[in-house]
Amino acid sequence: MAVTGYLSEFALAELFNFLEQGNKTGLLTLCKLSDDQLQYRENHYIWFNQGRIVAAANRLDQHGLAYMIGQRGWLGEHTALRVAQTCDVSTPIGLSLKNQGLLTVEQLKLLFYTQVMRQVCTLFALKDAWFQFDCKAPLPFAEMTGLNAPATEVTLAALRVLKDWSALANKLPEPTSAVMSIIEGKPQQKLNQTEWQLWEFAKGTISLQEIAQQLQLPLEKVQQIAFRLVTAGLVEEVPLVTVITAHPKPEPLPMESAVPEATMLSHSFLHNLVGFLKGKV
Amino acid sequence: MEIMRLVVTGPVGAGKSTFIRSVSEIAVVDTDRRATDETALLKQKTTVAFDFGRLSFGPEMALHLYGTPGQSRFDFMWDILIQKAHAYILLVAAHRPSEFIEARRIRAFMRQRSPVPMIIGLTHMDVPEAWDLENAAIALGYLSTNKRPPIIAVDPTQTTSVAQAVITLVQHSMQAHLMPLS
Ligand SMILES: Nc1nc2c(ncn2[C@@H]2O[C@H](COP(=O)(O)OP(=O)(O)OP(=O)(O)O)[C@@H](O)[C@H]2O)c(=O)[nH]1
Ligand SMILES: [Mg+2]
Repeated sequence: MAVTGYLSEFALAELFNFLEQGNKTGLLTLCKLSDDQLQYRENHYIWFNQGRIVAAANRLDQHGLAYMIGQRGWLGEHTALRVAQTCDVSTPIGLSLKNQGLLTVEQLKLLFYTQVMRQVCTLFALKDAWFQFDCKAPLPFAEMTGLNAPATEVTLAALRVLKDWSALANKLPEPTSAVMSIIEGKPQQKLNQTEWQLWEFAKGTISLQEIAQQLQLPLEKVQQIAFRLVTAGLVEEVPLVTVITAHPKPEPLPMESAVPEATMLSHSFLHNLVGFLKGKV
Repeated sequence: MEIMRLVVTGPVGAGKSTFIRSVSEIAVVDTDRRATDETALLKQKTTVAFDFGRLSFGPEMALHLYGTPGQSRFDFMWDILIQKAHAYILLVAAHRPSEFIEARRIRAFMRQRSPVPMIIGLTHMDVPEAWDLENAAIALGYLSTNKRPPIIAVDPTQTTSVAQAVITLVQHSMQAHLMPLS
């Protein structure tokens, strides 16, 4: 089934987390919503292989990478395309060019950086777009350098340089929440200094508010770092019980005394209940 | 009197009040009020206090259902109720991916405060935009099928569907008692 929606509802960072965690393979299409000039509607395509990003383009003709190679003067665009056509259809063109001695590993890295890291990072600034993930789309070997990056690594990189967070405002962890690690051991990703600092607090007990004070960072910054760690799949947000400061000792509600502690239920009770409910099904 | 207490939780508009209304023998105390701010965009009325429903199935036996309020933050009332619950169901509207993050938040809160068994009920599965069960499970952070709680589709507007969901929850909690999960 294709997954579709709007980035204003399910942010790119959430989507990448979903695609990586689900080990998804296929094509993610982003369709910008520019209401005034429909004819300039621009699409972006990002290909995934088992949760890792393998290529990106703003065209579907599979000429994007060859064009980039031509632009850099490393090889004529047509030569690159010809190689793409003659080589094995299941090998990334980047690997073929390298195997034939036409491109170096360094050049492939540069191409991947420009094609994927730079291009995809800019998409995080989109306020909204329609998206579709098609898990039936074939891999575009003529667009592939042969390199790849985990989707959440791209998210981390993109969110570190994101300037305008307004579209994510209601997604950020609450100031009164804590964060807690959901991985075993230490993160595999390369974290920056402040991310490591927050990681040290990922035990689910101290609110972001307090962390911000301790680290002497603006609260908003700490919320953003927390969001990065959440979407990188490293921690989860844990809301803490909000203490009503005006009434440190809230008056017991009628319900409180009326509801006894949870006690063990007898087996006959549970069997009767299931039997009774089955009569309603 | 033996009473089993179940908590029905989930983001705004997941179907908590409807769920309880569908199986309760008493009229659910109507604490729905006109929604304010953001919630108003999603729905007109939201629950401002806990829903309560009851189902008696013997002279000394009853099931009590508590629905968490949609808009409120995690205050001490939540805490009191979950400490006293035997099990809970987290309802998530499958057609509203914008709320998945809130569903995860609620789950983390519950898990932190209470070790009791839980299941996930995906609602609004009849809506065309609904995510399918497997994808919704991944989006909620469940990656392997063997290390997750039961995840079921439930339509809170249908009594049979709600009864089935409660059976799943009760049976899951019976199993959990025999074999405590870590
Ligand atoms: N089509 C469809 N509608 C549903 C389903 N579940 C709930 N609804 C409808 O969704 C709306 C919201 O349901 P409520 O029961 O008020 O949700 P709630 O979780 O109590 O909401 P809050 O109290 O605001 O948090 C109601 O109009 C329900 O009839 C479902 O599975 N399918
Ligand atoms: Mg309600």
